[in-house]
Amino acid sequence: MRYVIIGGSAAAISAVEAIRSLDRESQIDLFSDEATPLFSRVLLPYYIAEELSKPFLNFRSSDFFEQYKVNAHLGVKVQELSVTSKTILIEGGETYPFDRLLLATGGHPIVPPIPGIEKEGISTLKTMADAEKIYQLKGQRAVVIGAGSVGVESCISLRKRGMEVTLLEQLGQVLPTVFDEEAAAIIQKKIEHLGITTITGERAIQFAGNGHVQRVITESRELKCDLVVVAVGVKPAIELAQKAGMDIGSLDGITVNAQMMTNVPDIYAAGDVAETFDITRQANWINAIWPCAVEQGRIAGLNMAGKKTLYEGSFRRNSIGNFIGVPAISMGLTRADTCSTCEAGESFQEIKRRTKESYKKLIIRNGKLVGAILVGQTQKAGLYLTLLKKQIEVSDYLPLLISRTLNFMDLLPLIRRNADRFTETEFKEIMDTGL
Amino acid sequence: MKILMVDKNKCTGCHQCELWCGTEITSVSKELTRAIHEQPQPVPRVYVEGKPFALQCRHCEDAPCIEACPNGTMRRDPETGLVYVNEPTCIACWMCVMACPFGIINPSASMKVAIKCDRCRNMGYPICAEVCPTQAITLEERKDYRTKAF
Ligand SMILES: Cc1cc2nc3c(=O)[nH]c(=O)nc-3n(C[C@H](O)[C@H](O)[C@H](O)COP(=O)(O)OP(=O)(O)OC[C@H]3O[C@@H](n4cnc5c(N)ncnc54)[C@H](O)[C@@H]3O)c2cc1C
Ligand code: SF4
Ligand code: SF4
Repeated sequence: MRYVIIGGSAAAISAVEAIRSLDRESQIDLFSDEATPLFSRVLLPYYIAEELSKPFLNFRSSDFFEQYKVNAHLGVKVQELSVTSKTILIEGGETYPFDRLLLATGGHPIVPPIPGIEKEGISTLKTMADAEKIYQLKGQRAVVIGAGSVGVESCISLRKRGMEVTLLEQLGQVLPTVFDEEAAAIIQKKIEHLGITTITGERAIQFAGNGHVQRVITESRELKCDLVVVAVGVKPAIELAQKAGMDIGSLDGITVNAQMMTNVPDIYAAGDVAETFDITRQANWINAIWPCAVEQGRIAGLNMAGKKTLYEGSFRRNSIGNFIGVPAISMGLTRADTCSTCEAGESFQEIKRRTKESYKKLIIRNGKLVGAILVGQTQKAGLYLTLLKKQIEVSDYLPLLISRTLNFMDLLPLIRRNADRFTETEFKEIMDTGL
Repeated sequence: MKILMVDKNKCTGCHQCELWCGTEITSVSKELTRAIHEQPQPVPRVYVEGKPFALQCRHCEDAPCIEACPNGTMRRDPETGLVYVNEPTCIACWMCVMACPFGIINPSASMKVAIKCDRCRNMGYPICAEVCPTQAITLEERKDYRTKAF
């Protein structure tokens, strides 16, 4: 068996680990066009903030490729994929044959067509090279466009370096895809407390300056700046798949089945590049987050090595940690009323609980949890995650779920009642509690 | 591998395990009378809650906390199979907290690291099992439960 893996990040490394758990011998060739191996993108804002130096950005030890017997081709871009001859072509003209292939090519940062976007001093934040560039940019005033997770973390990292930072978001709240208005307001206050100016409901329409960016022009004002970080999202890197004529979904990701296999046998896709079935939306979706990339990489790897394993489905989950300074976790849908995939006859319910320092909201669809937002108290978040992932009927447990004293023991009868939804290993861990 | 079994019929909810875990593992002084005045406050890695029942990390075979951790801080000791937090590299992002199905990872705001049971992997014997007055907590070989009805 010859494996080829394209990409060298979360999904790719997780797939390598899964393949090697079953197959110690076969040849694995891994190609990544990024020269720096094994670093975690999630940590790039920490690098910019000078909280972590380069060696601490790794998510696996530097001898990973030797340990897992992987031929790593780093800084090498794969140009073409031939599904008929089962080969890939790399820059320089060399070809490599494969029996099974994984596309773990992730996403490209979206570069919005705003006039002046090509000016110096403007960058997205996706790669190590981007982080390095932003780190090296000189100046006192920064504007960050887009208040998603990457945008918010970028502005905090620049603020921690002592810059004057403005966060600009075209929608009406910060973290619009992660939190509802109420939770976002708490987090926005915290961000402002760090000395960051936030402007919501306003869009950038031009970048002005002589070669180097000097001003961001919005619909109603001009923001003077020395550098700009553009963080308006990622889109799947599907060039190879598209050129090879593979199936692309309506959201522009590569479509896969529950074994993470594309429409072409022996070719798999996982991570930010893949469109998967979203449990909470009951529809295909791209959940471009680290834990999904790792899960999907593992499922793909197991199937590639011959062990049939089905993916339970993806769903969004985000945690705002110590970097921002408010413990807040959010998973699944954020609002009942904005669910685009609602069907007639479905009943939605939102349950909220608010105290001075904390906020909790659960979103229930047809008696099952499809979303949870926790601000403040977060230790029990994983209990909600289990209920959401397994789509367990929770109607008769709502008072416990919203209460402050929620704990595993009190939830156990509910989990037992749904024992058939748990796998052997999950089962074992529950039994191991001696219950 | 050996895991901590807890017998719900024997657990009286006396919180001895919590007290000793916090003192012996987390505190600087290792003495209860001084530990209670320490700042930051020492925290336990076992939680007596619900019925009552003492619950700590299960060291899951497929550990969701390891999958969620974005920098490999949450890891498995290849020799013992125990799951532990490599504290020096923890960035306090709480992704693992979000993933643990038992809710036993403490996102410690004061320590700025994820705190959880490592089954006292650097000590001879787990402290909670040692101090439990009714022997509700015991160290036993992990069983295969498939045959047993749930
Ligand atoms: C700044 C930042 C902060 C983030 N913070 C969080 C967070 O806190 N929590 C969270 O859950 N997620 C976070 N994410 C998202 C998370 O990093 C991604 O979901 C995850 O990295 C996806 O992994 P992946 O393996 O699918 O793809 P990627 O990490 O995108 O990796 C794909 C790799 O494939 C390479 N590649 C693509 N095409 C080719 C080709 N033709 N030839 C060779 N190589 C190729 C790419 O260069 C890249 O190195 C963050 C992302 C960023 C950028
Ligand atoms: S912390 Fe939670 S998820 Fe991780 S091994 Fe322990 S019980 Fe399992
Ligand atoms: S809090 Fe620490 S151990 Fe938990 S996921 Fe983040 S870095 Fe890993």
